[in-house]
Amino acid sequence: MLAYTLKRTVVAFLILVVVSALTFSLSHLSADPALTIGGEQASDEDIEAIRKLYGFDRPVYEQYFSWLGRALAGDFGESYHYKQPVVEMISERIGRTMLLGTLAILFALIVSIPLGTLAAMRPNSLLDRFALLIAVFGQALPTFWFALMMIIVLGVWWRWLPISGHDQWLNYVMPTIALGYYATPALMRLTRAGMIEVLGSDYIRTARAKGLPPFVVLFKHALRNAIIPVVALAAVWFGFMLGGSIVIETIFNLKGIGWLSYDALLRSDLPVVQAIVLIFASFYVVLTLAADLLNAYLDPRISVR
Amino acid sequence: MTDTTTSSPLGLRTQQTAEEILEPSPFSKLRKRIFKNYSFLFGAVVLIFIIAMALLAPVFEALGWIHDPYDQELARRLQNPFWHEKKVDEAHLLGTDKVGRDYLSRLIYGSQISLLIGFSTMLISGFIGTVLGVTAGYFGGRVDMVVNFIINTRLAMPVFLVAMAAVVAFGASLTVVILVLGLFLWDRFAVVMRSITQQARDLDYVKAARALGCSTPHIIVREIFPNVLSSLTVVATVEMANAILLEAALSFLGFGVQAPTPSWGLMLNEGREYMFFSAWMLALPGACLFMLVLAINMFGDGLRDVTLERER
Amino acid sequence: MTLKRIATLAAAGLIGASVASTAQAGPDDDSLVIAWGSTGPIEHVDNYVNTNRTGIWFSRMVWDQLIYREPKTFEFKPLLATSWELLNDTTWQFKLRQGVKFHNGEPFDADDVVFTLNWISNPDNGVKVQRNVNWIEKAEKIDQYTVNVHMKRPFPQAFEFLSGPITIYPNEYYAKVGPDGMHKAPVGTGPMKVVSIKTAEEYVFERNEDYTWGSPKGEAKVAKIIVREIADVQTQIAELLAGGIDITADITADHVDQIGGVPGFVALQAGTMRTGYLGFDAANRSGHEPINKLKVRQAMAHAIDRASLVKNLIRGDAGVIHTPCFPTQFGCDVDAAVKYEFDPEKAKALLAEAGYPDGFEIEFYTFRPADWAEAIMGDLAKVGIKATLTKMPYFALRDKQRNEGTTPMFLMDWGSYSMNDMSAITSHFFKKGPDDFALDDEVAAWLEEGDTSSDPAVRKAAYSKAIKKITGEVYWLPMFNHVRNYAYRDGLVFIPYQDEIPRFWQYGWAK
Repeated sequence: MLAYTLKRTVVAFLILVVVSALTFSLSHLSADPALTIGGEQASDEDIEAIRKLYGFDRPVYEQYFSWLGRALAGDFGESYHYKQPVVEMISERIGRTMLLGTLAILFALIVSIPLGTLAAMRPNSLLDRFALLIAVFGQALPTFWFALMMIIVLGVWWRWLPISGHDQWLNYVMPTIALGYYATPALMRLTRAGMIEVLGSDYIRTARAKGLPPFVVLFKHALRNAIIPVVALAAVWFGFMLGGSIVIETIFNLKGIGWLSYDALLRSDLPVVQAIVLIFASFYVVLTLAADLLNAYLDPRISVR
Repeated sequence: MTDTTTSSPLGLRTQQTAEEILEPSPFSKLRKRIFKNYSFLFGAVVLIFIIAMALLAPVFEALGWIHDPYDQELARRLQNPFWHEKKVDEAHLLGTDKVGRDYLSRLIYGSQISLLIGFSTMLISGFIGTVLGVTAGYFGGRVDMVVNFIINTRLAMPVFLVAMAAVVAFGASLTVVILVLGLFLWDRFAVVMRSITQQARDLDYVKAARALGCSTPHIIVREIFPNVLSSLTVVATVEMANAILLEAALSFLGFGVQAPTPSWGLMLNEGREYMFFSAWMLALPGACLFMLVLAINMFGDGLRDVTLERER
Repeated sequence: MTLKRIATLAAAGLIGASVASTAQAGPDDDSLVIAWGSTGPIEHVDNYVNTNRTGIWFSRMVWDQLIYREPKTFEFKPLLATSWELLNDTTWQFKLRQGVKFHNGEPFDADDVVFTLNWISNPDNGVKVQRNVNWIEKAEKIDQYTVNVHMKRPFPQAFEFLSGPITIYPNEYYAKVGPDGMHKAPVGTGPMKVVSIKTAEEYVFERNEDYTWGSPKGEAKVAKIIVREIADVQTQIAELLAGGIDITADITADHVDQIGGVPGFVALQAGTMRTGYLGFDAANRSGHEPINKLKVRQAMAHAIDRASLVKNLIRGDAGVIHTPCFPTQFGCDVDAAVKYEFDPEKAKALLAEAGYPDGFEIEFYTFRPADWAEAIMGDLAKVGIKATLTKMPYFALRDKQRNEGTTPMFLMDWGSYSMNDMSAITSHFFKKGPDDFALDDEVAAWLEEGDTSSDPAVRKAAYSKAIKKITGEVYWLPMFNHVRNYAYRDGLVFIPYQDEIPRFWQYGWAK
């Protein structure tokens, strides 16, 4: 198990190195950072001096390794545009994105687990069809379009919910729904499939035969088993949601790191973009790693291989 | 499909992706019973309709039924659609946009762009993903490990953010958007092709072909490929829908195709300026996009039910 | 739900929205909530560090200059300085106002002025826009309320800078905290005091109760101002309609028509001196063959219907501009400019003469709304020129222009930092600096002459020659002046200004 854990951790770390190297070279192809730093009125000499100072005249791989070295020590440099340490800018805002992501995934689970379970209990019922409809429609609805429609209806026409900001919890309602609903089809399908499989299994039949109340059978025996892969998938979706937060945070002016990455891209503020890509990637890698290890722990055959 | 779990470093996601897409879960079997594959029918009919629109658009234009989607005149900008009380210009059924181009024509021509992006992205990503997946699945061992690493690296990249960075780096255009999406959206192809190839490799007649001394390329192309073809089609529909939605989101933020191309994503971006007062400018391209993606998804779902059922 | 029903609901909803009231913003608590930021948040509120337009709006609330430029008549009036005198070609003497206090209680005197001017003119301190300050040699204290400002050379535009970008900082405070401290807790003499700064998110101000010394800027009309940085214009409008904010200055001309029609809201357009232009790569850095031919550029000038563009898209009191500068600016002689009337036939003839009877293809760049560029492309298409548009973020476009030079044609604009002197725009673009794509020695020499002479007549003559050549060679096709579009809640007493700087403290609620 230890060897397995170690191996997986090394692989996860290597993935992060490759991801950051790719984005580093990609972003250094884009706008000249020296110009961003120098500002509108910088002369050619200023720009040249800045290039030397920041080392932009060195080959990209050299710049990358010096960036990586500092990043490993927790130093992501300074924003070209805001002249603030990137770590500071991100730590100020990452909480909001995490909160949004958590709320969104909770929303998705709260919608999809009951719907999926009910659908599995009475396959072919009206409710099952309704669940299916939500799943099919949900997959086809562009997130940003849905977000805008909510702003028009809930924000402007009815004035039920605040439109922009992040200071009160009500600010998170619309962004949560907009971001969360996109995950519901996948989670619901998995819940439903898992439940149908579990409900048809021998031990549930045994439990039923023993005369346990249906309620107990459903929640204590069936759902508990069916829900594990759903939660695992939700963890992975959480990683994807952080990426989806770019559009949502921009629309709702919710200033988390999704918004920050959009703002940084518009200004070619590379240290910020670089750090956020790495954070998003880390979330994905860590969550999948955790899920893998959990899997291996639950099913020791995996780590033996 | 259990062996996908064990051989992938970050197995969970991989397993679920494959399952999500391919397993004819009880869910979809059931759905088949519910809808008797009306979903497939619906998807196919809508899709054919949209493709017909895209192909026939120049014909309609030549017949004078619709306008040139690029023909602009500032003096007739922002005309209202037919249902509006203050309808002015009879020549434009759905009104005009902000430089006076016919909205209906642009919606119809917009199908070309969405389909073009969907198809091209799917071809590029399908090629990359299939090559990687089949290679990994067929050869296994170290090759498989390397491919798995590549797949997981790709999955760890926040697609949307990296796609935006790539568009900034190379300049926004239709070609760049297609290439960027094509180079990013191959993961599902690779995952699915890999696990199916692994299964197909162990089929008796493939073993037999190997024993007869057929060359590896021959086996892959002649014996393995026909086996994975139906799954490939299913994944292709999923990725096509995905690419269309991503293009729309990129265009919406201004990182997609360039004006004056009639793209639904770009029309959403432009129509957003009028969302509070002329909601149709946002609702119409949004509805078109929704219908197209819905049709592709339902078509794909139906296809999965039909084809995988036959195989079993 | 049918579309018609959606439309009806929208109309009903909007009217309902205007009737319902929320207490989040507005006259109830004597506050003004502003949304701005569509071009990105202020990166750093220190006036010498940021380069944003909104940074200027911020600075006018918090700090004062030595001199006040009356925004309507462009007259110079006393502000922190009460009188001034030119001692010799390169020295101004200023008498300072007594009894003015900074927000932290520090009294204002010659030490503050001397410190500020000497600090900013030292290039090591890294003032972002060096052009604003690099003409200052040094400042010298004569007595507690008298200062001499020495200039490096005769500098006729000095007052434009002293009444604009150069704001006076408290010496003791700034020496202690520096730019970063100033960013966290700005201190000035201006009509509004800063209560809190949340970078890129929100700024809260309260009325400066000590601002009673008869400043021409006027005392604050509301007790509290809150600024919210909202990047998305649609979100700003949603907030306005829902009652979350009171005023926005980022909307488009079409929004003005739409919001203006909603009861409870007012929308208006105010012309500014921001000058839009179509730039050409006349120096041929992009290697685009046709565009370095004069006849081709002249053809394009005749092909574009600027009047229709202004009338249909820009609207307000915008007008077609023929000069590479804004007509109110010093030296900007409209009569010197070569004017090109809209004449597609002539354009076609010129193209044929240049050897392109069937037109050609060209890449076209902008960072502004695509519809302006699309209108231009439509006109060019009618004479056979097929332009393909690339819309890029501002910084990325500037980078492409400066470093690669691969932009044969571009629609850009310049706000002149609200300075009413032609050197703020024409000299920036045509003196062979990094933004000069014409690289004309003669023009550069004339502009240098105009920039450095202290004789107004000599300046005007030199500038006129430059204008004539720039327009004659069509290095730029000047397009139109931009319009700022404002929408605000009914009941706000709002005054628009042509220099694109809303004085938010002057706006209060009608009683």
